[in-house]
Order: sequence, then structure tokens, then C-alpha cells
Amino acid sequence: MNPQYQDIAAAFVQSYYLHFDDNEKRQTMASFYDEETSLMSFEGQNLLGRKKIMEKLSSLTFQKIAHSITKVDCQPMFDGGVLVCVLGQLKTDEDPPHTFSQTFVLKPYNEGFYVQHDVFRIAVHDAL
Amino acid sequence: MNPLYQDIAAAFVQSYYLHFDDNEKRSTMASFYDEETSLMSFEGQNLLGRSKIMEKLNCLTFQKIAHSITKVDCQPMFDGGVLVCVLGQLKTDDDPPHTFSQTFVLKPYNEGFYVQHDVFRIAVHDAA
Repeated sequence: MNPQYQDIAAAFVQSYYLHFDDNEKRQTMASFYDEETSLMSFEGQNLLGRKKIMEKLSSLTFQKIAHSITKVDCQPMFDGGVLVCVLGQLKTDEDPPHTFSQTFVLKPYNEGFYVQHDVFRIAVHDAL
Repeated sequence: MNPLYQDIAAAFVQSYYLHFDDNEKRSTMASFYDEETSLMSFEGQNLLGRSKIMEKLNCLTFQKIAHSITKVDCQPMFDGGVLVCVLGQLKTDDDPPHTFSQTFVLKPYNEGFYVQHDVFRIAVHDAA
């Protein structure tokens, strides 16, 4: 287990959303993901590998987006990886803010980490 | 990777909340967790190992609880495990419903799975 898992998680979360929330930086996020082994679930759509993931990130239809982080939970994994669970709110264009939940599994790679698993959901419940 | 990961996730989610939402069954949930390697984050409180986790689950202060599942996302992990992300609402006693987010990492054990990682958050944001 990596004893610095909390620092790793904090640094990752800051970097991920800094990139995501900037329309130009978002296009450079390929380095977060592995060519073959990264898995993303984006609002229920499953994408395997860097190429498909970047296609998705490059095709999102908002003009601007801002994530605001409420809580980050992280746990060390037994292979040196880190489980990171983010709760927050996001705002796209002029829409009202929505709660979102995002889970990452970071895996060690060279001297850093890459995103092996990425699961993103907006919290919208069916009306009872 | 386990090709049955979706069935595994669905069966697990059903069983987990069926147990959790019943005051008697919740006390029997020790078998979901490993003595030494299970990690739980419960609203930011970190607990390691079955004993500490069950202490927590046995001391929750509501009279009744009901989880309602909105979405389950799952991904196969490279060691045969399953990442399970649950979004839903929960209601305790006579309180209004709250959105919750819970992430599990299931690991193979004998002919089944156990919960190696469990991260639970209620979605409450600081007032902007």
C-alpha cells in the first residue's frame, strides 16, 4: 500500500478537474488514461481505452463547465493503487448546478499514476 | 477479468441493501467483510477490518432505514474483482430522503466475493 495515498488523491483531483474545466486543457487529458486498460463509465456509457475515452471527452456539448468539489474520500489499494471517490457539484453553461459523483481507481505507472477506472454520474433520481 | 461482472454487481447490490435495511440482518453483515483487509469510509470516518466495520454498522442511531437505488455502474477489474458504484436515495426514520453515493470494490474469495473497499457518502453540499 502507498502511504502517500492521500497526497496522491488530492493532487490527482486538483489536476483532473483543472484540466477538465478548461476547454483546451481537456483535449490534452489523454495522458491520464492508458491506451488499452483504462475503463470509463460516463453516465452509463462504457468506454474502453484511451482513444474511445478521448473521443468522448472531446465531443461533450457544453460551452463551459465548472466542477466544485464537496468531498474527496480515498483509500489505499493493496497493489499500490488508490481508490478516489469525489462528491461535488457541477455547472454547465447557464444550467443550475447538479450534484455529481465520480469514482477513480488510480494505478501506479512509471513514477506517477494513471486512471484505470473512471465512473461518472450526475445525481438525478426519477420522480417518485 | 470476470465476464459475469454485471451479474455479480447486481446480485451484490441487491443482497447488500437487503441486509442493511433490516435491523436484524444488518448485524449479520460481518461475512461481507474481511477480518484484516476490508476498508470502509463512512461519511469520512475510516475503518479497517471486519471488527471495526461491524462496530460501526451496529451503532448507527436510526430506528429504520430504506435505500432506494437509482443507478448502479460496474466495471470489471484486472484481478477478477468488480468495481461497483451505486447512486440512490435513502430515508431514515421520518427524515426527508437524501441522495447517497456508495462505491464498492469486490474481490474474489473462495467461490464468492467480499467487500475489500466500501466508501459511503450522503450528498450534502455546503450552502454556496
